[in-house]
Amino acid sequence: MLRNLQELYQYRALLWALSLRELKARYRASVLGFLWTFLNPTLSMAVYALVFGVLMENAPERYPFYLFSGLLPWIFFSTSVMAGTTSVSDRKDLLTKVRFPAQVLPAYVVLTNLINFVLSVPLLFLLGIAFQDTPSWHLVFMVPLLALQTLFTLAIVYLLSALNVAFRDLQHIIANVMQLAFFLTPVLWDVRSVKGLDRFGLVLSADEVQRAVVLVNPMAALMTAWRDVFFSHRVPDVEPLLVVLGITLLTLWAATTVFERRREEFAELV
Amino acid sequence: MTDAIVLDNVTKHFQKRSKRNEITTLKSEVVRILKGQRKLVEPATHIEALKGVNLVVPRGTTMGIVGRNGSGKSTLLKLVTGIYAPTSGTVQVNGRISALLELGAGFHPDFTGRENILINGIILGMSRAEVKSRVDQIIEFAELGDFIDEPVRTYSSGMFMRLAFAVATHVDPEILIIDEILSVGDAHFGKKSSAKMNEFRQSGKTILFVTHDLGSIETWCDTAVWIDGGKTRMVGDPRQVVGAYRQAVAAAEAEGERVGHSALSSPGLALPDVKAPAPVEVKSPVTVEELRLRDGVGAQPSAFSADGALDAHLDLALSAPASCDVSVEIATVGGVTLFKTMYPVGPLPAGKTTVRLSLPRLGLGDGAHVLTATAWSGELPPHALSKSLVVAPHPSAVGLIRPEHAWATEPAREPVAPLPAAQATAQA
Repeated sequence: MLRNLQELYQYRALLWALSLRELKARYRASVLGFLWTFLNPTLSMAVYALVFGVLMENAPERYPFYLFSGLLPWIFFSTSVMAGTTSVSDRKDLLTKVRFPAQVLPAYVVLTNLINFVLSVPLLFLLGIAFQDTPSWHLVFMVPLLALQTLFTLAIVYLLSALNVAFRDLQHIIANVMQLAFFLTPVLWDVRSVKGLDRFGLVLSADEVQRAVVLVNPMAALMTAWRDVFFSHRVPDVEPLLVVLGITLLTLWAATTVFERRREEFAELV
Repeated sequence: MTDAIVLDNVTKHFQKRSKRNEITTLKSEVVRILKGQRKLVEPATHIEALKGVNLVVPRGTTMGIVGRNGSGKSTLLKLVTGIYAPTSGTVQVNGRISALLELGAGFHPDFTGRENILINGIILGMSRAEVKSRVDQIIEFAELGDFIDEPVRTYSSGMFMRLAFAVATHVDPEILIIDEILSVGDAHFGKKSSAKMNEFRQSGKTILFVTHDLGSIETWCDTAVWIDGGKTRMVGDPRQVVGAYRQAVAAAEAEGERVGHSALSSPGLALPDVKAPAPVEVKSPVTVEELRLRDGVGAQPSAFSADGALDAHLDLALSAPASCDVSVEIATVGGVTLFKTMYPVGPLPAGKTTVRLSLPRLGLGDGAHVLTATAWSGELPPHALSKSLVVAPHPSAVGLIRPEHAWATEPAREPVAPLPAAQATAQA
């Protein structure tokens, strides 16, 4: 795992060049160009604000802002995973023509989306100001949260991209799984509004269910923490994040092991 | 001095992922189960591309690889480059390696030539600073002019290849791997590419390259290796290896004509052994030791003038006194004979003799040709030696040959008069 990350650092110039190109290429042919990086989230923000702020009057208070403080980190995760799954299998041109460090491919997809996320955070602040909310000192927690989510995403993307080379059905499965994951993760809803459970012979208090949701799903824990930083202005709970860190390190170890073992056949199978 | 590339008993197998046209999918499996067929036992599910190759490329030498399509040449290059990992055996590479397997890896059509130079250079292993410092050289070499700041998708294929070649050759590797790409661009750019290659050789780089242009193997390489059916069939002097390869292909073609099929009709199959008169047993008493090509004044130009003279000196070596015949043939690289002449030298003493063929005027079209000198004695097997013969282009003529000719303008509406003798000389 360490060797893999060290190599990634070695190839940082390549990683950086590919990410920058990806960011530039996305809107290259369009008239507004790079502005779309900001326009896209702004426009979807406007849509949500219209629906939940104006049309649906019984929506929770400041709901568009609440929604967006979770949606941005989620978009970072989900686009990374979806694009990352095919990142190796789609780059036959690079893998079979030159000696190319394969792990750069999933990594640069994650990096590109990370940059996109960071660029869109100021828009979130603008939205907050529109809802009489100003960013607080809790923003310092952005750094460890960002690092944690990036590592977790990288681990998932390593694993999926390596497996998708030999098993292409995975990319279609993942598209559906991500949709399910979107609803299982508290992006649209608040984890603290989850009620207790008394079904199938299980009796759980609201607190227990909430803990279970956060501990089982690393993205739920991260999402709650992002909300604490952006929306509620409080210090995130450390315990669920430590669990996420544990899961992340385990997944990253497993993913790099799988990736290293499979990379030799990438050039033959893509 | 360590060797640049060492391959030790390298094999490479590929998984065969389909049986005939049928790829195994869930659907085909379900259909098979519904039809109640039993699962087919597949005997051979892998392809042996390389079956134990040993090869050593000493530092600073140029080695050419010849062989048929499907014989494993490209697989070999990909193993050396590190794109593939060997199934068994070891591949050892000492030094920074740059591979020109396919040009333009990672080029993005929407980006300008200049932007693509940066990313392609980094992909090929240069640092950002290195690329930046060489950008001007690369642009100059590629000769794209103002197009360098246009998106690559607007380029013609020639421009694309020139840019890609320019980046690839400016990586400054210690070991260069080349797969059949020297024929990039027009004649002018081809000359520049050849000069670049020469520069690489003279600066002591190691070059490993695959080509079907056997003439360039003979002119460029220090050693040649013939890969056949996934094995090294012959390693050694380029002329001998190329000669043996040509003979084997010719023999297989002859067999194909006779029997209706030959090893040539199925890709990758090893060529049959040439049942040539075994050279060890009936050794020809006469051999062409050296073949020297000179122009009218005794110089050895890189390209001969079509209107100038050519002297071919054949240094013959005789192991015993014998009566000899020689021939000289000039053929295109593709093997079409342009001219062949034979000369019965007659009885010669043992030792060395030089026979000279003089052409006061070469009279050939421009391009690279192959001149082959052959010597034999009676019915014994001949011995031949080939040299590449490059003819310089002429601004006002094209074609394979260039006979003496003259142009004249004649007054209109007058009876045709015979040409004045003075005008019937060759054009300068």
